[in-house]
Amino acid sequence: MNTGTVALVNNSKTQIAENFASALNSSSNFKIKTVANDAAGRDLIKKNQAGAIIEIPNGFGDQIPSASKQITVVIDPANVQLGATAEGFVGQYLTQINFAAAHIAPTFSTNIEKTTDKPLNYFDFVLMGIIGIALMNSSIIGVATAMVNYREDQILKRITTTPLATWKFIVAEILSRLVINVVQIGLIISIGKYFFGAHIYGSVVLLVIISLVGAVLFQSIGFTIASLAKTTEAADSMSTAVTVPMMFLTGVFFPIDSLPKWLYAVVQFLPLAPLLHIIRTIGSGVGSVFDDPKNLILVFAWIVICISVSIWKFRLAEE
Amino acid sequence: MKQMEKVIEVKKLIKKYDELIAVSGISFEVNRGEIFGLLGENGAGKTTTLEMIEGLRKPSSGKIKVLGFDIQHDLKSIKEKIGVQLQSSAYYKFLKLGEILKLFSGFYNKSVNADELLRIVDLEAKKDQFVLNLSGGQRQRFSIIASLVNDPEIVFLDEPTTGLDPLARHRLWDVIAGIKSKGKTIVLTTHYMEEAEILCDRVAIMDRGKIVVLDETHKLISRAEHPFKINFILGADDEKFISFLSEKFKLKDHISRFPGKDAHFEIRIASQKELNEILTEIQKRAPESLTVGRATLEDLFIQLTGKKLSE
Repeated sequence: MNTGTVALVNNSKTQIAENFASALNSSSNFKIKTVANDAAGRDLIKKNQAGAIIEIPNGFGDQIPSASKQITVVIDPANVQLGATAEGFVGQYLTQINFAAAHIAPTFSTNIEKTTDKPLNYFDFVLMGIIGIALMNSSIIGVATAMVNYREDQILKRITTTPLATWKFIVAEILSRLVINVVQIGLIISIGKYFFGAHIYGSVVLLVIISLVGAVLFQSIGFTIASLAKTTEAADSMSTAVTVPMMFLTGVFFPIDSLPKWLYAVVQFLPLAPLLHIIRTIGSGVGSVFDDPKNLILVFAWIVICISVSIWKFRLAEE
Repeated sequence: MKQMEKVIEVKKLIKKYDELIAVSGISFEVNRGEIFGLLGENGAGKTTTLEMIEGLRKPSSGKIKVLGFDIQHDLKSIKEKIGVQLQSSAYYKFLKLGEILKLFSGFYNKSVNADELLRIVDLEAKKDQFVLNLSGGQRQRFSIIASLVNDPEIVFLDEPTTGLDPLARHRLWDVIAGIKSKGKTIVLTTHYMEEAEILCDRVAIMDRGKIVVLDETHKLISRAEHPFKINFILGADDEKFISFLSEKFKLKDHISRFPGKDAHFEIRIASQKELNEILTEIQKRAPESLTVGRATLEDLFIQLTGKKLSE
């Protein structure tokens, strides 16, 4: 998994230094850009063209006691993931050299197995999160502000003067937005797959269907907000208050199990969290959505709750 | 007298909002083919009454029948046969006029061609325009024809000319008269007395949720205590002459000075005989302007409610 670009400053001419630089270059964890000195590396970080610097000191690897034995890793705090990867790589490589220098073999070792043989990377994880965010924002904010706006403009009242049943109007609104959602999901998947090389191993059709279930969930939240908000501004604020915490906490950009335990206990039940879990399961092609039905149950429970509140509270016009 | 077909029957209608009584036990009927006006100041209960008949608001108690259908049980049948223009109606900003008419006509079993409707109000050329591109008068005209998409038997117009300039208002009166000439019944609310006088066959004046008087418009005017008016402007202010008139004809509460001009007066008169005598006296003073007129609905409204209508 490529996590970014590392600037390499190699001040040593020894074989050990050359071997290390070669190992860095052949790593798939990052790209290496060789620069003349530390200042040039820092300049690249300033220009966002690199996220860390690995500096091999002059004389590193020389077989004399006074030779420098320390490699410096400069980490950009704004690029923690790349920094950690670079630091880990250097540490692991130096441990191997140390063992070799002492002529000993390691007693304990690690055997790493993956849940799938298929290559998956961080972008694949985030792409599913982006689908979730897009559906959530367009559906919650779109429905809530549009409905309250229609009510303020008396369009909903005008609809009630016609024989059109209220449920038909709402179903038509939902269906028209679902058509837009299909286009939205299609675009995100296509751009992710063909422009950024994302991997999707599961059924794209199932992915779209489950995403549309999510869109219905978020639209029902939008209708709930529209039931409670009196003005477009209030609907806008309430939508933001609902979407922003979900956007940051429910696993769009990082797995929710990295959250503090008390926060995880709450976040796992928020509407976006179980939906993201389901669409990631489909996208990665690892297991079935029915392996852990808890997430599906949570999504449908939220739909039932929000639709019930909307039926109870949502009115096209004052009575 | 010819028995008229009743298309709307309202009996003991009440609408309460907690402690506030918006409509207080009113009863009236509307005949087929007439223009029936609900008059009153803002907050008198006109729009609430209208919206209860249209089925938009639920009455607290009372009975409403429209075209023989009970509003509580046959609302869908009623909505198929009525057209409603709301106060300050808005339409989808992203649809053109023709598209809006097509959309709304799709909600009914019966519909009228959009071009035909636009022709009624001279808006055929605007068919592909958005509502936002129309002037105030054009928007109001459009909102009226939008209420005709289902060829309704009854048309409800809620303050259709509010906010329009006099020219646009007169143009809209012609449109409303044209709708009536097609045999449709029109129920309208307004706070313009002149509009009610010109358009309405019958008028109900509302005040604080009650109907204070209901009759044919010309009969209502004849109920005024002072059915005649003289309006005159003297060459110069003449307090002595005004005092003389006031004392001789006992006009103390019925003579008033218009604000703005120095010598512009109005006298409200109870009888023809008195009218002739006062006219003779005024003509002796060679006024710069002298007009004799009838009382108006506004005079009756002031007499009945003690209030003066304003926009």
